[in-house]
Amino acid sequence: MSTNPIVTGKLVCVALNDQQQLDKLDATFNEAPYKAAPTQPVLYFKPHNTWNTDGATIAWHEEGLVVGASLTVVFGKECCRTSAEEALSYVEGYTLTHDFSLPEKSYYRPDIKGKCQDGSAPVGAVVVPASDVADPQALTVVTQVNGETVSELPVSQLHRGVAELISIISNIMTLQPGDAIAVGFPGDRHPVKQGDKVTSSIAGVTELTNQVEA
Amino acid sequence: MKHARVLYKGEGQHNDVELDVTVNDQGDLVTAEGTVISESEVTWLSPIKNPGTIFALGLNYADHAAELAFEPPKEPLVFLKGANTLTGHKQNAYRPDNIEFQHYECELVAVIGKEGKNISREDAMDYIAGYTVCNDFAIRDHLENYYRPNLRVKSRDSLCPIGPWLIDKEDVGDISDLRLTTHVNGELTQEGTTKDIIFDVPFLVEYLSKIMTLKPGDMIATGTPKGLKDMQPGDTVVCEIEKVGALTTYIVSEQEFYGDKY
Repeated sequence: MSTNPIVTGKLVCVALNDQQQLDKLDATFNEAPYKAAPTQPVLYFKPHNTWNTDGATIAWHEEGLVVGASLTVVFGKECCRTSAEEALSYVEGYTLTHDFSLPEKSYYRPDIKGKCQDGSAPVGAVVVPASDVADPQALTVVTQVNGETVSELPVSQLHRGVAELISIISNIMTLQPGDAIAVGFPGDRHPVKQGDKVTSSIAGVTELTNQVEA
Repeated sequence: MKHARVLYKGEGQHNDVELDVTVNDQGDLVTAEGTVISESEVTWLSPIKNPGTIFALGLNYADHAAELAFEPPKEPLVFLKGANTLTGHKQNAYRPDNIEFQHYECELVAVIGKEGKNISREDAMDYIAGYTVCNDFAIRDHLENYYRPNLRVKSRDSLCPIGPWLIDKEDVGDISDLRLTTHVNGELTQEGTTKDIIFDVPFLVEYLSKIMTLKPGDMIATGTPKGLKDMQPGDTVVCEIEKVGALTTYIVSEQEFYGDKY
């Protein structure tokens, strides 16, 4: 486990934000235990024991691991109750998060065991200044496992976009410098095996590589 | 020993400074240099200097689970809270606009003092530094069946007052039958005992450390007994746990709390 110089406060992740996944789960959402589709962003924390870096090896878990990558917004100043119109002015820069978790079986209860394994949230490699990114909605996150592309998620495919999420989340919790939001992962998390090399990239922004423990 | 953190404006100083103090038997605050400060001269802060992961338990008292019409859980219902929720003793916490039901939750908090992974139940107490009290407010209107209780219910600014102090575990001793009470505007509204906890502190340390490394500054809020009541701006709520402390919180409106940021 290593400390991460980028995230020092809260790492807030947004689940169920891939519009294709939401469409696919539409019928399931009306059944127990959910009973209704979510009306708000579905959020979870990756706590400090999970924070990790580019190049880090990810511990294997006997129940298996899946990975998803997300565009991640890093805050450089306090962001409290902002509007969607002003939200992007609080962003210091953009980076990537790999969320290694146990296979997602249910979204009903907080998934502490699935989401809080040590070192399971590498963030990086670098933070690209917000001034270098004209429109975060135009970015695409590509993930490769052992060189083969396993997912391509255009940020425009997210149910809620970057500015709207910052606005909603900053009305629940004040965001501080060193806090970050992973805005959305591909709906189908990709299973990985021991020894797999996972590289995600956003063209022109940054790349993040991790290897699963052999 | 009771350890607290306060903001204090000393003589000749322009700005408040953060001080680590201890609290003596008379209730006075004593600095590292031995200077005694009256409580009236300070603003209380969260007693945990570098808060780590905040674990909280749902439905962890048999009587409370029944009150909410839930079967007692077979596995702990654990959720995480952000450090933005923490505020100190005698501070404001807000009632969000346009809601019907916000309630307090008086909880015993065990604070981790030593890093550990795969800690056995037998060794668990070696990893606890001490205890404090928190008031883990919930906004029931915002409950949804996704990662329930969701962050919008449980991770709002100021809605986990904690304190007044961290008391060393040796000064509390046995925690298996401590009386908890909540008073709203002086009226007793919640009463219980840690005897009714379903998953106790040693169990939770073993359970969580099997999943992840626990670190100093991590906190486990162990759940609340029955006795829910709605809160309104103007209310004063006091959560007290025998041998640990009494935590006072003032409820204000969202507009009053955020002021210029509203």
